[in-house]
Amino acid sequence: MKNAKLSLDGNAGRVDILHGITLDVARGETLALTGPSGSGKSSLLMLMGGLERATGGSVMALGHDLTTMTEDQLARFRRHHMGVVFQSFHLIPTMTALENVATPLELAGVADAFDRAGAELAAMGLGHRAGHYPSQMSGGEQQRVALARAAVTRPAILLADEPTGNLDTTTGVQIMDLLMGLRDRHGATLVLVTHSGELAARCDREVRLRDGRLDALPKAAE
Amino acid sequence: MIAWRIARRELRGGLRGFRVFLACLALGVAAIAAVGSVRVSIEAGLAREGAVILGGDAEMSFTYRMADARERAFMAEIAETVSETVDFRSMAVVNRTEVERGLTQVRGVDGAWPLYGQAALEPSMPVAEALEIRDLPGAVMAPLLADRLALSVGDTFRLGEQDFEVRAILVDEPDGASSGFGLGPRTIVSLEGLAGSGLLEPGTLFESQYRLRIPGADLAALEDRAAAFEASGARWRDARNGAPGVAEFVERIGAFLVLVGLAGLAVGGVGVSAAVRAYLEGKVATIATLKTIGAEGRTIFTAYFLQVGALTAVGVALGLALGAAAPVAFGPLIEARLPIPVAIGVYPAPLLEAALYGTLTALIFTLWPLARTERVRAAALFRDVGSAHGWPRPVFLFIISGLVLTLVGLAVWLSGIPRLALGTAGGLFAALILLAGASLAIRWLARRLVRLARGRIVLRTALGAIGGPGSDAGPVVMSLGLGLAVLAAVGQIDTNLRSAIQRNLPEVAPSYFFVDIQTDQLPAFLDRVENDPAVSRVETAPMLRGVLTRINGQRAQDVAGDHWVIRGDRGLTYRRTAPPEEEIVAGAWWPDDYDGPPLAAFAAEEALEMGIGPGDTITMNVLGRDITATIAALREVSFENAGIGFVVTMNEAALAGAPHTHIATVYAAQEAEAQILRDVAGAAPNITAIRVRDALDQVASALRGIAQATSYAASATLLTGFVVLIGAAAAGEKGRVFEAAVLKTLGASRATILAGFALRASLLGAAAGIVAIVTGALGGWAVMTFVMDASYRFEPISALAIVVGGALATLLAGLAFAWRPLARRPAGVLRARE
Repeated sequence: MKNAKLSLDGNAGRVDILHGITLDVARGETLALTGPSGSGKSSLLMLMGGLERATGGSVMALGHDLTTMTEDQLARFRRHHMGVVFQSFHLIPTMTALENVATPLELAGVADAFDRAGAELAAMGLGHRAGHYPSQMSGGEQQRVALARAAVTRPAILLADEPTGNLDTTTGVQIMDLLMGLRDRHGATLVLVTHSGELAARCDREVRLRDGRLDALPKAAE
Repeated sequence: MIAWRIARRELRGGLRGFRVFLACLALGVAAIAAVGSVRVSIEAGLAREGAVILGGDAEMSFTYRMADARERAFMAEIAETVSETVDFRSMAVVNRTEVERGLTQVRGVDGAWPLYGQAALEPSMPVAEALEIRDLPGAVMAPLLADRLALSVGDTFRLGEQDFEVRAILVDEPDGASSGFGLGPRTIVSLEGLAGSGLLEPGTLFESQYRLRIPGADLAALEDRAAAFEASGARWRDARNGAPGVAEFVERIGAFLVLVGLAGLAVGGVGVSAAVRAYLEGKVATIATLKTIGAEGRTIFTAYFLQVGALTAVGVALGLALGAAAPVAFGPLIEARLPIPVAIGVYPAPLLEAALYGTLTALIFTLWPLARTERVRAAALFRDVGSAHGWPRPVFLFIISGLVLTLVGLAVWLSGIPRLALGTAGGLFAALILLAGASLAIRWLARRLVRLARGRIVLRTALGAIGGPGSDAGPVVMSLGLGLAVLAAVGQIDTNLRSAIQRNLPEVAPSYFFVDIQTDQLPAFLDRVENDPAVSRVETAPMLRGVLTRINGQRAQDVAGDHWVIRGDRGLTYRRTAPPEEEIVAGAWWPDDYDGPPLAAFAAEEALEMGIGPGDTITMNVLGRDITATIAALREVSFENAGIGFVVTMNEAALAGAPHTHIATVYAAQEAEAQILRDVAGAAPNITAIRVRDALDQVASALRGIAQATSYAASATLLTGFVVLIGAAAAGEKGRVFEAAVLKTLGASRATILAGFALRASLLGAAAGIVAIVTGALGGWAVMTFVMDASYRFEPISALAIVVGGALATLLAGLAFAWRPLARRPAGVLRARE
């Protein structure tokens, strides 16, 4: 990410969210983005995922320049290379757990999408909930479904936006374990936004943001 | 009161979330108010112009004869002026190299005609001048007939044995609407001119009408006095109801269209219900907060009931304004299309009727969701306890049932056609239940099919959206389905009726009716047609006309009420032997050589309806003479195949002495029809030929008019359905924005997402269409079977159009609300929900 900037038009006029961020994340690295509320961590994550378009600078992922890609090119890129997890899970309410997990595989044209989705759910300990709709599941279960959905395509990059933010401590720890387990098993690059010092401490590196700027130098890998 | 204060504060947010609510209610109320207003305007026009329509303050008419001296004396005594006219069917004949003939309804008038109003002629001239006898007597002719016979002013044509000169074209006949249904276009000549035609001989079919100018008279008292002449076949009409047939027709059609309008209101009710439900679901937090700070369920219900009540008032008021304004705005157009005067204006009665219907419908459809506000728990603030589903308290169910009964009762009472009103209400209720069941079935089916659609992401997302939680299948299938069902039922009935008349009937119907065949002309006539190889069948029967005045010595009206058989004069005949095609179902036919007191064989179905049977006596007034006959037999008569069918047949001796003519039906190959007509009419100019195909065309065109009016009313229903559809699409937009954002995050292209949206909309629309076809076909079958007494055949073409139309409508509504979801960047959408 080189000198990446983000400005958004709000009701009170144009607001500069990110002021020229330059950041490299190595393949297989785990990176925690931390900082106070409104510091721009989630926006930075969204730029990395191509879910938001940088208004300046460039964002490269796996050799592709995300800032020059169209909406549909970005979608296809995510389909094959990225998984995203949100604080509010963002499962599609009209689909069962199994269908939610199978969707990215189906979009990628995978033949045994539902078998693989079922296996992934089982790996998350949710085999018995496959036929349930999101509204029938607890927050922790929904987040595990979201994790399964993000991981099922074996993406090179996993992005997680406060994945434990809406969960109680015990469930949060479970989700953290699952997330780290995913990285360990599949060797994906993991970038996560978190308020949790404990979760940040489990990452290779922590980057702090303040007012849309990088606040501290990266600490050495453990 | 606290509930009212809460309601007022809540309404400060404005009416933005209630556009669909208001549109649905206003459209339904407007349709009913407009139909009612037009109906009352026509009725007011008929009442105001009664004398002009009737052609006099009062009229006495006679069948087959002119008034006798006693009757003339009575009329001269009560009236300031008397105008004498005769009315009958005949053939206008033009002698060119090829002889041309056209069926016409002839009117012979005296110098006093018209007593009221003006006949409009082209070129403009006084009627007396147009009809006066110069070298030839003059005539004016309706443009349709003049065109058909290629006649212009100055040309001559023949009626019977008399030539006439066309002096003008008849643009407007002031008392035309009172004459009822004529089979041919009008020709007007003077009575004097008609004298030499030979068309008014005893036994020929004509009606004489005497219009009376009696300014300021007590018409009711005069009617009572005229009743003295009823027994000899005189009929009285007066300006209080100048065109009873038209008035009754307008009232019936109006009532029928109001019932169609009620269907529209029911569709609107579905939209109103969905709007209130969505509104209240958005208010769960507010309601929970109010409960947390001590508000009781009753207070909360009242607060939201008052809000919905205020909105209902606004919606009904909008509808009334629209419904009252529409007839005024389209007044000139309506007047131009109707042959009768219309007093367009704003009338309170139909508006009140529409307001009552609208208010009741709104109450019925909103009480259910409103009642559920009581069930919202304060805990909803702290955790998701689900929105308040399930049944409301029993007291609400009682109230809703009571309101439904009130609405149905009101419709039955106000429409004046209770059977049809009850049928419509039952049909609507059944349709709503069927559609609600169908929407559940569709969701169930979609959930099952999702498994089969695995791997086809577009189809799977579409099916998931239909079957999964938060699906809008309910309101869409119910509202669009009901709208389409009404249209489908109208379409099925229309095509069935038309095919019965235009396609099926002519196959079994005769080519021609020949009427007014004098007894001495019969042998020559039969000789011509029976020896023609193109003629497959000829039937003849003696034909008289008479009025059924008494049953068992009592006034017929007192026994049989307003049955059609005793309204006006009927054809009757005599026979020695029972006709082979008619089955005797009660009593027995008389012996071949019977010549005792008069006996009658009566049509079985009509006898049953009138409550008479073998052994009863009927008195028929034929040409002023009473003939009392005992019913000997009841016979099964089919009037459906347009053959000869008489309600009353008597033994030969009873009627043979009276002057009469013969009627004949000729079944011939179509290519031989023209030559038969030329030969018969050439030999006997007094014989009138009625081409069955032309008569059927006329009936079909009248039906087309009714079908068109019904389609207009039904399209108001469909429009309301479309509004509900738009409402559902708009309400679902937020969900689709979110879904699109998540799918984009997971790697779906915009084309994939759009295809999913389009597919779900089309699937839902097609499903609604298919359910509508089933419902509409059931409705069509019920109407054809129970109301029209005819057979029903499913008409696939109009049905297919309905399914495609339904799919297209939902597709359009769905796509209209698909752009925003597609255009939004996922990050903004998803973060807004964090």
